[in-house]
Amino acid sequence: MNAMKKKWTPFLFIGPAVLLLIVFSFLPIIVAFSISFTDTNLIGLANWSQINFVGLDNYFELFKDETFMQSMRNTFIYVIIGVPLAVGSSFFIAFFINLVGQKLASTFRVIYYVPSVTNIVAIAVVWGFLYNQEYGLFNYLLSLIDVGRIPWLEDPFVAKLSLILLAVWKSNGVSMLIFLAALQSIPRVYYEAADIDGANRWQKLIRITLPSMSFATFFVTVTTLIGWLQFFEEPFVMTEGGPLNGTNSIALFIYQEGFQYNEFGYGAAASFILFAIIIVATLIQFKFRKSDQTL
Amino acid sequence: MFKVKPFIFVSFLTAIITLSACSSGDSSGEDEAGDNTIQVWTMSEGLDDFVTDFEEESGITVDVQSIPWDSAHDKLLTAVASGKGPDVLQIGTTWVAEFAEADTFMDISEYIDDYENLAPDNFYDSAIGTTEFDGKTIGIPWYVDTRALFYRTDILEEVGYPNGPETWDDMIDASRKLADRGEDQYAIDLPTTDPQFPFILAWEHGWNYDIDKGAESFDSENFKEAIELHHLFYEEGLSQMGEGKEFFQAFSDGSKPMFFSGPWDIGTIKDRAPEIEGKWNVKVMPTAENNKSMMGGAHLSVFANSEKVDQSLEFINWMADPETQVKWYETKSELPANKEAWQDPVLANDGLVSTFGEQLESTQPLPLIPEYERLGNEILNVLEEINRGGADIDQSLEEFQVEASKILSK
Repeated sequence: MNAMKKKWTPFLFIGPAVLLLIVFSFLPIIVAFSISFTDTNLIGLANWSQINFVGLDNYFELFKDETFMQSMRNTFIYVIIGVPLAVGSSFFIAFFINLVGQKLASTFRVIYYVPSVTNIVAIAVVWGFLYNQEYGLFNYLLSLIDVGRIPWLEDPFVAKLSLILLAVWKSNGVSMLIFLAALQSIPRVYYEAADIDGANRWQKLIRITLPSMSFATFFVTVTTLIGWLQFFEEPFVMTEGGPLNGTNSIALFIYQEGFQYNEFGYGAAASFILFAIIIVATLIQFKFRKSDQTL
Repeated sequence: MFKVKPFIFVSFLTAIITLSACSSGDSSGEDEAGDNTIQVWTMSEGLDDFVTDFEEESGITVDVQSIPWDSAHDKLLTAVASGKGPDVLQIGTTWVAEFAEADTFMDISEYIDDYENLAPDNFYDSAIGTTEFDGKTIGIPWYVDTRALFYRTDILEEVGYPNGPETWDDMIDASRKLADRGEDQYAIDLPTTDPQFPFILAWEHGWNYDIDKGAESFDSENFKEAIELHHLFYEEGLSQMGEGKEFFQAFSDGSKPMFFSGPWDIGTIKDRAPEIEGKWNVKVMPTAENNKSMMGGAHLSVFANSEKVDQSLEFINWMADPETQVKWYETKSELPANKEAWQDPVLANDGLVSTFGEQLESTQPLPLIPEYERLGNEILNVLEEINRGGADIDQSLEEFQVEASKILSK
């Protein structure tokens, strides 16, 4: 009886969480996966007998769809530029906040964290004004140093960079807090020992701080990468994927197909391609980390 | 003590499950809300207070739920998917085909004769056009909406068109003169995100969408003319590519003295640019071969699964009454679909609104096909490629036809 109880107690504890996970995460994923092999649309939704199995057609179709390929390329650019920028900038913010005194540090912590808790729609309104080509603040400031009007949101490539800038600014807060916590948990004795050995600041940063933070960096990189692969809110509220599809991301494409045009099967197929990309990207990172540890 | 802990968790778990079951039960609990209550979903704010008169007259309680237009599509999708919806729902004319195909609405044709205000003759023909799908009557027009030209009388007078341009040739001539006024001066703001506008332009050039021909309809000289006309405005800098200045500011300072829009902007100009009072006016669309504008607006429909058909129709009948329609116009400035309502001095004596009334005589409904929204957006993409991306018109149109036939064949 007692052994039995011991065996079952842990399941009881994790039970509620697992149950919720199954109902709200795994089940929808399985449903979406099966939908991706069908031609489900609005009519099919109302009347299930209208749904046809189409095999891999949706997936073939996707790779022929210029809009989807364009959004893949865009997402790729977002990730390549955005992830290093977001991880790097939040690290430096955390590093400098850690250097200054207590009072200043808490002030700046709030300043950098506020964008993360601000509603994206409010952000979009304000940044929309900042980016405005005619009377935006950015172009006004640039005009003071004789730089011509920059088409922040009007040129397909510049618009991508503008959205990256906005997203980096918005996402810094959370990563910064994680970095800050990691920085503060590095035992002081390491630095004291280094001081005795006569190490300078740079050496301490490279030899002590960075290696001690490898796990935090890994965690932040993985979550940031996943976040950027699912880049959605910024193009959705700022540009709706325009101009000329220049800012469309995979996630936004899925939304458009699924909820604007009611092509649920097609949208689900696209979401599984995104799912596969995320899994692969994350596995690669784990691989790197493993080889890192064996060194 | 040992035995208590697992027990607590089990009961906690049960509580969670029961609670979640309850809450999902609540949202579908509208059926239990008494026999004399009907549920209405609307995208028009303010209907809640508006229906009190009806509630007093009929003794039917109307439970109004306002949904913003932006999330209405999603909400309707959920209703269709779950089969649980309101009794009466508002539907935008461009969504009719899409949702009617999924059997969202009840066919009310057999009831029409039982109510005084529901006869099709009472309404504009092009409004009735979108209430009939596949031989069924899926709704009754509530309000209508069309597009006309807003222009600055003082600025257009300077270039020789004090009453606004009559034809598209006049429009081009006036626009060139207006754009010549200097840098950052434009003639007109064309609606770049409105999928209806390219259709309007094409109709005016004698084109029409033929459901039987499908994508081949777009293989037409007239359609191409419309696209070329649209391109001309961007090529010559008569319209601004990109968002630019806040629009009503630009209208007020004269840098964009014309735009096409619907009746709601009468109120917007009065609110946002009171300083130009008396210096602007509304005119019917410029003529090419004709001056057709689109017939938009919204209908009221009975949801397919509703059990309160009589009460729902009584409500719709009340909403369609000319008197109610005028009152609704006074409340929300949405144009009556009932023709008799237009005789009322409130509408007839208002110069701006009666121009929209005049435009309504020359309107056409948008193609009643489920793929309409997708097609319209595709045309907008093509226009963006031509105007912004510098693509060749002929080639883009050929590609568009391929795309269109793909969309239509799905």
